[in-house]
Amino acid sequence: MTALSIDALEHAYLGRSVLKDINLTVKTGEILALVGPSGCGKSTLAHVAAGLLDPKSGRVRRRYRRHAMIFQEPALLPWATAAQNIGFGLRLARVPRRDRANRIAEAAAKVSLEAGDLTKYPVELSGGMRQRVAIARALAVRPDFIYFDEPFTALDVALRRRMQDLVISTCAFAGLSGLFITHDLHEAARISHRVAVLDTRGAGILGYRHLPGAPGERSRGTGSPQHSPAIPCSAISTTLTRGRSHELRSSNAGRTRGADLPLGTGVR
Amino acid sequence: MSRRIAAPIASRLANRAGRTLEFLWSAWAGFAALFLLAAVWQAGHEAYGPFILSSPQDVLSAVWRLAGDPKAWSLATLTLQRSLTGFGLAAVVGVALGLVAGYSPATMRVAAPLITVLIGVPPIAWIVLAMIWFGGSDATVRTVIVVTALPVVFLGAAQGIATRDRNLDRMARAFGAGPARRFLTVGLRQTTTTLFPALTLALGTAFKVAVMAELLANAGGIGGALASARTNLDIARALAWVVIAVSLLIAVEYTLVHPVKGEVDRWRRAAQPWGVKR
Repeated sequence: MTALSIDALEHAYLGRSVLKDINLTVKTGEILALVGPSGCGKSTLAHVAAGLLDPKSGRVRRRYRRHAMIFQEPALLPWATAAQNIGFGLRLARVPRRDRANRIAEAAAKVSLEAGDLTKYPVELSGGMRQRVAIARALAVRPDFIYFDEPFTALDVALRRRMQDLVISTCAFAGLSGLFITHDLHEAARISHRVAVLDTRGAGILGYRHLPGAPGERSRGTGSPQHSPAIPCSAISTTLTRGRSHELRSSNAGRTRGADLPLGTGVR
Repeated sequence: MSRRIAAPIASRLANRAGRTLEFLWSAWAGFAALFLLAAVWQAGHEAYGPFILSSPQDVLSAVWRLAGDPKAWSLATLTLQRSLTGFGLAAVVGVALGLVAGYSPATMRVAAPLITVLIGVPPIAWIVLAMIWFGGSDATVRTVIVVTALPVVFLGAAQGIATRDRNLDRMARAFGAGPARRFLTVGLRQTTTTLFPALTLALGTAFKVAVMAELLANAGGIGGALASARTNLDIARALAWVVIAVSLLIAVEYTLVHPVKGEVDRWRRAAQPWGVKR
């Protein structure tokens, strides 16, 4: 079962081709991380997939019921309280007013927001709290697919890790499907079931990498020995980095396109 | 169940009462400024004599005499009615056109030179034209108000939409909002930042222009009363009418514009707790 499939997608911005020959599928219950250097069109791809932008050609098939999106900046309404912000999607989904309070409380509990924070305005909340509200807003509409558009890039390291854990527990373990855009390979390796690498110039997906184990169980390898990953993240990152530095810069980048990147061939 | 609902209502009422008291308390600063003005006025009166500048006390007693005169009340009401209807018309038309122009850059490009022309034509020229068209009637005063106040409101609304946060639009779209709902839930609210200062300015303009148009078009109201005070060289009475016009403007501004602004800008105050003065 696929939740999202993109076939031969092309997108141009002001006549300049940004994405070309994109074929991508996200299976049901899978979090797919899409990585690539900045400016390669990852976010654009997510926006096209979510229907925020119209593609020039190609097909996007969405086989999920409802999607939600979490952005790099929380994009909260400054004039609305945290609770009203969480309820924003419910309002748009025309959820009856009497049901909203329960749904808001449920979503807030999932991201560990306290009742006292719900009456506060975004200006009164810290950066991490704001992003929690944004995640709760996405979860409140009970989506079965979530687009993550580099959601934690602006946060500091410790906070980012906490937010990743939050995503792992509320999305990856809850059976949601998702497309996670990031340029941080460790983040991709922690959160996703599978990693896809996008070409520097957006000319196709260079390869996929199936990650063994479940999201959240892989760490940087500095964790406790009993939880040490089957494959250290450094190996994945070296593979992907190698892929990037060699495949993306060479003109015959299509050579290994679509094939799984070889494991353990990292340059050391 | 009832307790669960009652608690937020009580806290909301307490919150509102707090905000109202804080607002009333801030009036002291306003009074201080007014008394400072009165002191300078008194000094001017003592330097130049009552014929050039009546003392604040004489003017206030003139205001008091006028307050007991029903004819004066009907004059003031006439001006008030003209300014408010003119302002309302300018606000409705200006906001509607401004919103369209904010969303459509092509409209904005066509409208911008027209706005420059409208701003450039002196109000007095419009008074002359409106007198020829409508004579000394309400329509003359209202036309001049609309023409002078419209550009300000238009620019305020257009600016608010044009400078809106596109991320919020994108977010609303990601949650399935069509253009109309995006405008209602996200766009409209963002115009308030620029629209409220514009509306305050337009309201002040409406009162000023109303009095001026009445005086020049001999259309009664406060302007007409000022004209007759000038003919009689009654400085105290002329100043009394000025005081009345300004008081009307302040009354309208603080009963109409500021409560709405306070309600809409509640979130801005959240970052500025009690005792923090900026």
